[in-house]
Amino acid sequence: MSKAVAAQPASSLSRLWHKWRFHINILLLLVPLGFMPKYFADASLFRGDSGLGERDIGTVQVGPWSLQLAELRNEAPRPDGPAGYMKSFNAALCDTCIDQVKAAYLRIGKPRSLRAAGVIFFGTPYRMGATLPIPERTKADAELWITLEGWDGSMHQASIPLSQASPTTVAWLTKQGGKP
Amino acid sequence: MSKKSRSKLWFLVHSWLTLPIWFFVLIVCVTGTLAVVSQEIVWLATPEARATQPSDDAPLLTYEQVLSAIHKAEPTLAVQSISRPDESHFALVADVVYPDGRSPALYINPYTGAIQGESPSFDFKAFTRALHGWWLVPFTNGYSWGWYLVSFLGLPLLASLVTGLVVYKKFWKGFFKPNLRFKHGARIFWGDFHRLCGIWSIWFIAVISITGLWFLIQAFMFDNQISISTAGNPPVVARQDVPIMPDGKPAPQISLDQAVKIAAENIPGLEASFVSLPSNAYGHIEVGGPGWYPLLFQTAEINPYNGAIEGSRMIADRSGLELVTESMRPLHTGDFGGLWVKLIWFFFGLILSMMVLSGLLIWTKRTALATANALKRSEKPKRAPKTQTVTAHSPQPEEVNV
Repeated sequence: MSKAVAAQPASSLSRLWHKWRFHINILLLLVPLGFMPKYFADASLFRGDSGLGERDIGTVQVGPWSLQLAELRNEAPRPDGPAGYMKSFNAALCDTCIDQVKAAYLRIGKPRSLRAAGVIFFGTPYRMGATLPIPERTKADAELWITLEGWDGSMHQASIPLSQASPTTVAWLTKQGGKP
Repeated sequence: MSKKSRSKLWFLVHSWLTLPIWFFVLIVCVTGTLAVVSQEIVWLATPEARATQPSDDAPLLTYEQVLSAIHKAEPTLAVQSISRPDESHFALVADVVYPDGRSPALYINPYTGAIQGESPSFDFKAFTRALHGWWLVPFTNGYSWGWYLVSFLGLPLLASLVTGLVVYKKFWKGFFKPNLRFKHGARIFWGDFHRLCGIWSIWFIAVISITGLWFLIQAFMFDNQISISTAGNPPVVARQDVPIMPDGKPAPQISLDQAVKIAAENIPGLEASFVSLPSNAYGHIEVGGPGWYPLLFQTAEINPYNGAIEGSRMIADRSGLELVTESMRPLHTGDFGGLWVKLIWFFFGLILSMMVLSGLLIWTKRTALATANALKRSEKPKRAPKTQTVTAHSPQPEEVNV
């Protein structure tokens, strides 16, 4: 086939196409091969085999309780359609506070009340996640506030600088120059 | 254009569809075929995933009994959900989290509640589905481009079906007079094979290509914020319904069996095939399972503190359009009627894979030559699109009806 095709006068583009067209298969097969390490790294991340998240933030003391925080991914916030940019954090409650803490929340900036404590964590006390919207106008010196609500009705709060919680997010905010 | 040359054109379109990417198409067909029976393959490969009945009259445990058995064996384990696979030879699957944050699935014996094992870190089922569904390309912003790449194949698949039926004269006769000639060489055999498989797979190719195209439309709609959903936001338990406990201990919740009972009483015909525990203090117990229409699940959200049904998604809640679109996935995967439906899908998946191969074999033995000849004939006039010149200069469609 290729002989016959090559015999006819054709533009160089079409000759190139005829010569290499079946090599598209090879390119297409390289795609899953190339993404395989990433696939298995993600599978291990979501199964909790490689720790709480891609980057550990450390333990944060919140009143009488504490929790371990981690960035699910060590990267800038991801766009999520009309919801804007989102950043996921994972957390694990301290062993002694598991039975006392009713709920955990995350927010950028200090919450005015428990009802405005931010996004709630989902999951089990050993490993729970919250996805926090990051407005593009967030200041680089903003703080991440953690609110813990107890079964007895008590509420405790703590904050860490966003630069400590997620340096990649701060770098992303700085890079786009605090859009209005 | 004469009738003959038109059918020659269709024949060439049929022959050339996806040809340069034939191996990609083949792998997508093969991985899809494997994905249909991936749960069964895991069952074969993993003894822990099987349900062995200790004695003939041993009854199945209820969800609450299973939960208690897990907590008795592993008091620190957090259970997120328990599901009962559709076929009785499978062990129950419980999604759990260990204190160290690892969250595997556990295989639980449905009769004894014994933890039989942990799902391996290589999840064959998830892997074959990811490879088939989105070519392992990660989802970073909306649907992955791998998803588009694979679901786009629905288009040439549907076109293959249509052009194949157009060029196969009086194909319905093949149903009554199956023709498979073994003694006339490879080309004749593969041609007969391709046609015979083709006519018996008409329904299957139509189902797979149309549902595949739906996946393309679905991704496009999602990425462009077009929604046809009538589902609304998932409910949360109202703040005043979550008790404040002076002793600081978690508030008592209704048992899983009570939740299943409440759901069954209010949803006629609901067979609870999974129960999800609340995902935080303001979450619901979710009970779900297939209803009278086996392709779709019905679910109910039950307040864990007072047992009220605070949300539900019934068959009747879906719009007509949703009934159709939500049926697309089970129709594509064959996962709606137990093992036999899966085996039918698996069989026709193999046939479809073989059709890609046999089509290629026929092409190498015949079409390549025919096209080269056609191109030679078309050298006289100025270059024009290949198929056009072929139809204009081929009074002799000898390849069409071999």
